[in-house]
Amino acid sequence: MENKVVYIKPKRNVQVKTEEVFFRDIASVTCIDEHITAKVRALKVHHFREGTEKRAVISCLKLTELVQDVDKGITVENVGEMDTLIKLVKTSDAKGTLVWLKIVFVACISFFGTAFTIMAFHNDVGIHDVFARLYEMTMGQKATGITTLEVAYSLGLAIGITLFFNHVGGRRITADPTPIEVEMRIYEKDVDDTLIETADREGKTIDAS
Amino acid sequence: MLHKRIFLAIIGSSFGMMTAGGVFTVLLAVGLIPRFAGKTHTGKKVLIYENMVILGTMAGNILSVFNWNSQFEELVTGQFGIPQQIWGVFAQLLLVCFGVFAGIFVGSLAMAIAEMLDSIPIFARRIGFRHGLGIAVIAMALGKMAGSLFYFYQKMYLYGGL
Repeated sequence: MENKVVYIKPKRNVQVKTEEVFFRDIASVTCIDEHITAKVRALKVHHFREGTEKRAVISCLKLTELVQDVDKGITVENVGEMDTLIKLVKTSDAKGTLVWLKIVFVACISFFGTAFTIMAFHNDVGIHDVFARLYEMTMGQKATGITTLEVAYSLGLAIGITLFFNHVGGRRITADPTPIEVEMRIYEKDVDDTLIETADREGKTIDAS
Repeated sequence: MLHKRIFLAIIGSSFGMMTAGGVFTVLLAVGLIPRFAGKTHTGKKVLIYENMVILGTMAGNILSVFNWNSQFEELVTGQFGIPQQIWGVFAQLLLVCFGVFAGIFVGSLAMAIAEMLDSIPIFARRIGFRHGLGIAVIAMALGKMAGSLFYFYQKMYLYGGL
């Protein structure tokens, strides 16, 4: 029998909606023989039992083993991740008032938190004294009421933040992702790494036997 | 006069832009808002949070850069003719809101900075501590709360903590 190569590219983090997890959910597969590709894609990889953890980590060796069970003459080439994290998410908790409450909660923290931070910062650096001194130095007289400096500072702050966050309201200035979106991905990656390594250390990774 | 004003306007707006860059780099580097969004599984609404960050900063800036000194109360009760009692209740609610959410933010920020500097993992490793991390976290939270209450009770802000 001729030797066939199956290329698999497991993903790093997969969210599934059903208890049954199939090969096509967690990896892309390609092979010259379309028959084998279809067979591999339909393989069952994992089954979440009732009452067990809603997370599983699968090693690519386990996937290799599964593919080789289809046909002994297959060579598996992994071009993706070494470990795949599978999360079972119930569709019901993806919407509803609870989510909106959470959004309002986080939005309030962001609003009042940053308002407090900037006020504390201004207090820390003694912005009134700095501005009063600067005004006196430049204009040669004491500042009364609101001055150009304060208005200009506020405008500058607004421009700075807008440039930094790269959007006005819902409209992006350039096509780049915003800094928080970037941070969000980094955080997600860190969490995935931790979960995969924890599973490995506790021996919970589903690995080749 | 005009050229001096233009000079002030230029340096003022430069200060503002640099402050925005500096303050927000710190806030983002500790990754607070992504974490909140991740915890509540609302990552798709990050734009709302960013807008709230922008609005919050602008509100805080307008309140702290310009001197308001009780002008709000005069404005609301005098100009708009809203009874003082109603405004009083509303102001209290607003203060409670501000206090609670700003407190959550600062508490998380403090812990996020401590975590970013790896102080907790290093400490836990040095003393070889395996269990009881939960107790340590609760102890830290209670300690922060006690410290904060003590600070305000003893009026430490009046003489710089000594």
